[in-house]
Amino acid sequence: MVFNEKIVNPTELRHWEGKIELYWVYTSGSAGDEFFKALKKGKFIAAKCKECGKVYFPPRIYCEYDFSETEYVNISGEGTVRAFTVARLDKDEKPLEKPEIYAIIDLDGTDGCIVHLLNAKPEDVYVGMRVKPVLKAKNKREGRITDILYYKPS
Amino acid sequence: MEVEKIKGLKFAKKQDVAIVGAGMTTWKRRLNETGKELSYIAVKQALEEAGLTIDDIEMVVMGSAPDTFDGLHMKGEYLLDGSGGSDRPYMRVFVGGGTGVFAPIAGYWHVASGLADVCLVVCEEKMSSCHPHPQSGFKGIWDPILERPLTPNLIWIFALEMRRYMHVHNIKHEDIALVSVKNKRNALDHPCAQVAEKITVEDVLNSEPMALPVRRLDVSPPSDGAAALIMVAPHIARQLTDEPVWVDGVGWALDTTMWTNRDLYFPRYVAEAAKMAYKMAHITDPKKQIDVAEPYDPFDYKELHHMEGLGLARKGEAPILTKEGVTARDGDLPTCPSGGLLGVGNPIAATMGVKACELYWQLAYRAGKRQVAKEVTTGVCQAWGDLMQVGTVMVMSNKR
Amino acid sequence: MAVGKKDISCPPEAIGTPIKDEDLKKGKVTYYEDYPDLRYAWTAGQAISRFLNELKKGRLIATKCNECGRIMFPPRIFCELCFKPIDDWVYVKDTGVVQTFSISYIDPDARPLPEPIIVAVIAVDGASPKMGIMHVLGEVKPEDVYIGMKVKAVWKDEEEREGAITDIKYWKPVG
Repeated sequence: MVFNEKIVNPTELRHWEGKIELYWVYTSGSAGDEFFKALKKGKFIAAKCKECGKVYFPPRIYCEYDFSETEYVNISGEGTVRAFTVARLDKDEKPLEKPEIYAIIDLDGTDGCIVHLLNAKPEDVYVGMRVKPVLKAKNKREGRITDILYYKPS
Repeated sequence: MEVEKIKGLKFAKKQDVAIVGAGMTTWKRRLNETGKELSYIAVKQALEEAGLTIDDIEMVVMGSAPDTFDGLHMKGEYLLDGSGGSDRPYMRVFVGGGTGVFAPIAGYWHVASGLADVCLVVCEEKMSSCHPHPQSGFKGIWDPILERPLTPNLIWIFALEMRRYMHVHNIKHEDIALVSVKNKRNALDHPCAQVAEKITVEDVLNSEPMALPVRRLDVSPPSDGAAALIMVAPHIARQLTDEPVWVDGVGWALDTTMWTNRDLYFPRYVAEAAKMAYKMAHITDPKKQIDVAEPYDPFDYKELHHMEGLGLARKGEAPILTKEGVTARDGDLPTCPSGGLLGVGNPIAATMGVKACELYWQLAYRAGKRQVAKEVTTGVCQAWGDLMQVGTVMVMSNKR
Repeated sequence: MAVGKKDISCPPEAIGTPIKDEDLKKGKVTYYEDYPDLRYAWTAGQAISRFLNELKKGRLIATKCNECGRIMFPPRIFCELCFKPIDDWVYVKDTGVVQTFSISYIDPDARPLPEPIIVAVIAVDGASPKMGIMHVLGEVKPEDVYIGMKVKAVWKDEEEREGAITDIKYWKPVG
């Protein structure tokens, strides 16, 4: 390198700004489609492995451990808080107006769980708390995870 | 322990590597299944062909191209459960379009090193997630300062390369179009094909211009799909089948991203990769020793370009061989008997299904209606990718 | 461990559920759309910063490796072949030769362009052979472009230049 010709003035060092203008459309998949269509009707389903009996939530078409097929089973959608966090910042690290509680909820009758918003006071939440889902009005549901508005203590 | 050297590289392997099963999903513009589900379907099929269960799998190699298409960061990790990777040594490899042959190369070193006796290789791509168009996903491949301000489409580099190739060897577009005609027709016999059809050279030449000389029918389509392959040690192979297919050689090489500084008429990176694979496979005269070939054909001229890189034709000779019918399924050197990317589809990494998987099926005499007419012993498959940079080559044989 | 299948045709079946864009629009299948808002600032580094600053002055600059003697364009701070730092900066001409070209009818999102554009790899005079850059051609009809054509850069007016590759509007045929 010709060091006496190296740029040392930081204003002469350049950068280039840009954005990758892309968006994505994710299909829910075979099991996902089944799940969201059930959710639209206000029902919860999970998938049970025909071989080992493990019950997956969210449902899948296969058992990840023995690669067997699964069958759909109805569940209540209610569950127990396994862990929770009180979020005070949003995804871009901006302060939230009101703290939000996100919880991992073990769903009854399954070996799986759901991560969702918990509508409760931070000081009232505890691991092991029983919770149940609150869905959007039927005509507002679109077959998305946000059709569940939040979980609340039951 | 075998020890050989090529340009200072030492080949040392603990054991031979055999292929005993393969599988793939259907390939379509958009599939409802998620990437995980597609991976599962392909793996299940491969396990069934081999007569194995997921419990027999010791290690898993996942191959998937840019995260941009599926729109999932850490796609390897995302696909893990559908790929049989749970609680196993699992890794993802990635060299753009070259991944379709690079993933089985990684599977090869897992087994050849003695680290695993049974290795599952899974490749997946779900390009339909990417909007406004899968081609938009390639925006990120360009140099952000020197090239992206010119608003390039990925097809530009192919068009520029194709033009250079045509110019140097004085090749006409109609001679190149024959590849598209052949591969789309071959694909009629492939159950998973997306764009199999009977077309003519005129159809290609009159199809919609994209970036001339490239027209619509010179190009393979974006696809969703997955493929899987099972590689095992010799003592396992003997338990499973009387006729395994063996991996004789692997090779890979990359050239600089400064693609505007290279003469694009010849794929040097493929030639270097082939040199390595042939040396390992004791192939001194590929034209004579290779019975069937699956070179990477995302564009029609690319099959020709890669045949020359693989030493299956002299420079500029591949179009002549195509015209003479040498590369037809009943020719002396059947090339892309699967229907290739042009006919079956182009789910980037998952094109393993028409490259490494197809070569295995051909050498195992399991290709059904696609089986080539001649007797086959040795074949080569190849993939290509990144910014016109990477060549990945695998030589297989059904003799030991 | 069972024995693998025999006398079969592979792949035995084509599994998967093809869907069309309409299926999404009509809500036949569920899906989720995401529009992430990610922005980047790519640093140009020593070589490209200087290159961009020179573009603003209407000049093209390359770097030289004294070991292999190559004059490299676009400039870089190392010689990738000798794997050593570069030795010198060298101005190159704003003329060059078309190495290959394409007439593009589509934009980066594969949408049709109102007018096709001509894109080329141009080897720049004064740099080592085949040291090219990608750029667009202008003031020429698509059917008149040929490999080997001599071209010259057409610059933006000095006050409009911002130190970007687009400070060159296009390259036009000369002579």
